[in-house]
Amino acid sequence: MKADSIGESRGVLVKMVNIHKWFGKVHALKGVDFEVKHSEIVGLVGDNGAGKSTLIKVLSGVYLAEEGEIFFEGRRANITSPGDARKLGIETVYQEQALAPNMSISRNIFMGREPTKALGFMDKKAMDKASMEALRNIRLDVASPDLLITVLSGGQRQGVAIARVLHFEAKLVIMDEPTIALSIKEAHQVLEFIKQLREENISVIFITHNLYHVFPVAERFVILGSGEKIADVEKKDTSIDHLTELIVREPSRL
Amino acid sequence: MGVILTVSKKQSSLLKLVSFRAANTVIVFVVLMLVFTFFTRNRVFLSSRNMGLLSKLAPDLGIIALGIGILMICGEFDLSVASIVAVCAYVFVLLLKGGTSLFLIAIITLGLGAALGLLNGLITVKGGIPSFIATLGMMMFWRGILYVSSRMWPIGIRAYLPAGTSFEQIFVGRMGGVIPAQAVWFVGLAAILGVLLHFHKFGNWVYATGDNREAARAMGINTDWVKIGCFMIVGILCAFVAILQLLRLGSFCCTQGQGFELKAIAASVVGGTFLTGGIGSVVGIFLGALTIQIMENGLILMGIPVFGIGAFIGLAIILFVILNSYVERKRIS
Ligand SMILES: Nc1ncnc2c1ncn2[C@@H]1O[C@H](COP(=O)(O)OP(=O)(O)OP(=O)(O)O)[C@@H](O)[C@H]1O
Ligand SMILES: [Mg+2]
Repeated sequence: MKADSIGESRGVLVKMVNIHKWFGKVHALKGVDFEVKHSEIVGLVGDNGAGKSTLIKVLSGVYLAEEGEIFFEGRRANITSPGDARKLGIETVYQEQALAPNMSISRNIFMGREPTKALGFMDKKAMDKASMEALRNIRLDVASPDLLITVLSGGQRQGVAIARVLHFEAKLVIMDEPTIALSIKEAHQVLEFIKQLREENISVIFITHNLYHVFPVAERFVILGSGEKIADVEKKDTSIDHLTELIVREPSRL
Repeated sequence: MGVILTVSKKQSSLLKLVSFRAANTVIVFVVLMLVFTFFTRNRVFLSSRNMGLLSKLAPDLGIIALGIGILMICGEFDLSVASIVAVCAYVFVLLLKGGTSLFLIAIITLGLGAALGLLNGLITVKGGIPSFIATLGMMMFWRGILYVSSRMWPIGIRAYLPAGTSFEQIFVGRMGGVIPAQAVWFVGLAAILGVLLHFHKFGNWVYATGDNREAARAMGINTDWVKIGCFMIVGILCAFVAILQLLRLGSFCCTQGQGFELKAIAASVVGGTFLTGGIGSVVGIFLGALTIQIMENGLILMGIPVFGIGAFIGLAIILFVILNSYVERKRIS
């Protein structure tokens, strides 16, 4: 039964082992094990304050875990800053979109990593061309790379943020609530972008409270509750109702 | 199949036009030029004498406004510019009296401007306080120091600097015997800063820092140093203006520059720069600085009492900001 599952035949991209994180007296992560395979979409779910954001912030170098190890492509990785994570190919699409509203699409995609000609002058042509290419790759069609972010819809904005990580050849994209505060239609667009990422062989960690959003796109679900891993199930072994039950049934903190 | 989203071509060209925010400033600038040309006696506004005078005086505020505008785009203010101008002028005069070579003095003065800007930046960024407060404090601090150490005596420079040196020609001479060097500097500096802001990656960081600081940080931009860099640009430009003023007026005075701080902000705002940061352009700031000064000059020529001019400028600024935010709202909806 295991042999026919694609997930099992793929290698592991990232593996987090026995991660502990304290915020003062709050034990936010209590020895969590978590792994993502190559070009796998993992849904990370759980109640408010379960530790989802904390776990991925440890992975993306925002927080340093007090205990535990991270392996990336089989090697031990020492991730102590967002820069370290980025160098490995781990990119984050933030809950609060990291876009500058009054700047153009291409200036946003290359913000802080502008391709330059001589003396630090931006290579605008290269920026525009690569931006349009990245947007096309996730099937987001815009008229011009010069459009300002303010004129885009919420879904399109999230698309620009996703195109940005795509261009920089991420191996793993972390999305913390990418569909929050979006209309039904916009959320649907974002789910399509996420599917495109898998086509590009990029792994995705998708955090959300909306099981109806994550269920169709993810292949595996990891449920956190009070800083512990409650369940880790393949899609074929579960359903939305089953996941809901697991989340609700979470043993309350004593 | 993926979802195809289209923003129509028509919409985009329209947006481009409206998003060229300096458009407002250009219109107002042209209208003012016409009004003053036709409503001043004998069209004295356009006379070569008046134009010559304007192009000699306007660059002082204009050059400072360029720096202030860029600083505002990255989300900060500098109220200490006038005091920095005066401190730089004072140090220039002291060094001149001491007999240091002119070009060395110029370099030291510009370096001092940069250092004072650096200090403003460090206090703001590392102290974690609003630049409005940090530079308000520095404005009063430096002016006070200056009052005490100069004992409020004006100092003439002619005893130490004979008129007509090549040094003086470079800063305040006349190009081709006609165009005041100050005007050439103003245009030249605007061009350099325009290229820096709009085509260099530093410019991209300035906009990003002012528009969404958290995003800029998340993308690896060191927003603290971007801000400090902008404060230093302002400081250097202030030092430059100190030299221009000193050579033009022929003497140092401890109240030098007073009034520039707010006029420079007004010029930037009239030029389409937003107080909230992230929005503005060098073309706009350039025209904004000219607009404010042409207004002043034109109103005087039209016979409005000098002391009443402020009332007009005040109203003009308010109307301008209303116009800009109206256009902004139109643009988004
Ligand atoms: N910076 C912090 N300082 C102190 N405590 C924190 C901090 N960040 C998170 N916590 C605590 O750690 C626990 C886990 O929080 P976390 O944000 O990871 O939850 P989450 O699963 O992402 O929740 P949500 O679904 O509401 O986003 C919570 O008890 C929270 O209060
Ligand atoms: Mg969270």
